[in-house]
Amino acid sequence: VILRLVVAATLVYLIGPIILITLYSFHATPSLALPFTGLSLRWYADVFANAQLLDALVASLAIALATALVTLVLGSFAALAWPRLGGRERRALEILCLTPIALPGLFLGVALLALFAQAKVQLSAVTIVLSHVVFALPPFFIAVRARLSLFDQSLEEAARDLGATPMQTLRLVTLPILAPTLFAAALMAFALSFDEFVVTAFVSGTETTLPLFVWSMMRRTVTPLINAVSVLTLAFTLVILAAAYLVGHLRRSSALGRRLADA
Amino acid sequence: VDAQSRQYGRAFAAGPAVYMAVFFVAPALLLFVMSFWSAKAFQITPDMTLANYARALASAAFLKVTWNAVWIGLAASSLTLAFGLPLAYYLTYVRPSKAIYYLILVTWFSSYLVRIYAWRTLLGTSGLLNSLLLQLGLVDAPIEALLFSPFAVLVTVVHIYLPFAVLMLVASLRDVSGDLLNAARDLGAGPLTAFVRVGIPNALTGVLGAFIFTFILVAGDYVTPQMLGGSSGQTTGLIIADQFRKTGNWPLGAAQAFLMVVIAGVVYLASVVLVRAAGLAPRRRRRSALAPAAQLQPIPRAAL
Repeated sequence: VILRLVVAATLVYLIGPIILITLYSFHATPSLALPFTGLSLRWYADVFANAQLLDALVASLAIALATALVTLVLGSFAALAWPRLGGRERRALEILCLTPIALPGLFLGVALLALFAQAKVQLSAVTIVLSHVVFALPPFFIAVRARLSLFDQSLEEAARDLGATPMQTLRLVTLPILAPTLFAAALMAFALSFDEFVVTAFVSGTETTLPLFVWSMMRRTVTPLINAVSVLTLAFTLVILAAAYLVGHLRRSSALGRRLADA
Repeated sequence: VDAQSRQYGRAFAAGPAVYMAVFFVAPALLLFVMSFWSAKAFQITPDMTLANYARALASAAFLKVTWNAVWIGLAASSLTLAFGLPLAYYLTYVRPSKAIYYLILVTWFSSYLVRIYAWRTLLGTSGLLNSLLLQLGLVDAPIEALLFSPFAVLVTVVHIYLPFAVLMLVASLRDVSGDLLNAARDLGAGPLTAFVRVGIPNALTGVLGAFIFTFILVAGDYVTPQMLGGSSGQTTGLIIADQFRKTGNWPLGAAQAFLMVVIAGVVYLASVVLVRAAGLAPRRRRRSALAPAAQLQPIPRAAL
């Protein structure tokens, strides 16, 4: 019983603030206190009337898309290499592709800023994407590797025994099986990049992304506009994640269904 | 692994390995090297001096915020375990509820800034908590100290990093069979004793991992203290960030960043020693600090 109470309290603590922000984003007055004085969509209307904000949104979407694509390519190669490497090389690949997850964004941000400055690279959307891939790759790698550990190696062997070249095996057997996982993990990379603030703040130059814009709003004033933007980005992230989940899930259940039908 | 597939493996690994070497290893090394350079009048000269470290350690302001970072970090990672372990226990042994799992994922993926902002509105003088207390007649005037204090920072960072820790804890508890706990119960241990003496030691790498990860991320967080910490709740991160933005002494900032790395290492070693001393560590093979990250699955297997 005590456990249940502790668990329930923890969950309320986790989700409570997010629900409150959602409620206030529909509040008719700018007040952020109780009691509620009516519902309104005015803050959402303000969001869509703010040209600077929309520019930042477009920049964020483009950066997240580019990050997801680069992560997809690099991460897929890393994941394909993982089961094919021997012990020491595999450890080296894991250390390279996992360590950034254990570092604060601040460390990555200043280190990348130092690199770009020394290499005399102009800060822009490109440097943002290059930096985002560094922290998007580890979660991608972890997610795909978890799926790979369930992967039936005999499928590849069967294809090879039937005369397929390694490349054909990869293209016709391995990649189609992994595709839903890769796609879902790429969506996750998209969501991570879309929300990122700390690293972006150091390597953005004059580029403004949505989190950077929200940050500048937060520093100026407390405006309910931020509530509405927050809810919209949260909803957007959730849609992305739900899509990732559905792609993985539907494909899996249809594959299971087919296997059952065959049996 | 046969020779041919190993060759393919190497070819596949080359791309991501080179990328991470250029954009992760190289910047980290450069930052380390830079911490020995000297900066005068906004001009950075390659050098080989320990002056930056000496200057950082001699600065009272640096020591004060670093002390803040350490105790806020330790308090946050302890609280994270205090909240996270019951939750992970519940999800692993009592009821593996998918709804709760997704709820945790949703909070993990909800924006960092949004959560800082949410706590700022909750804890502010005209915020929900204060207006609730006023209406209930518990206080006469809003409590100013709720916001802009180490307390506000603590509440917020635990909220931000708890979901990640719970996912790590669940991943490591999954390897500890419920039968082990039941066996301990059969031998006369209460449920709590069974979990603390048998469950946690067997999942120790993950539990320590969650602790130290939370510490590193909290101690390195500068945005939350900047927004919610007031003057008493600032941490080292803000000083480091400012070196790279305002004052422009990058070598000094680099040295400060590596002092934080050293501190994180000391905290990790200290927690390992403490756990050993408390008799919670099983005498078994040792694994590297990265092992918990290797076990981590941010998305439940079923979802992929």
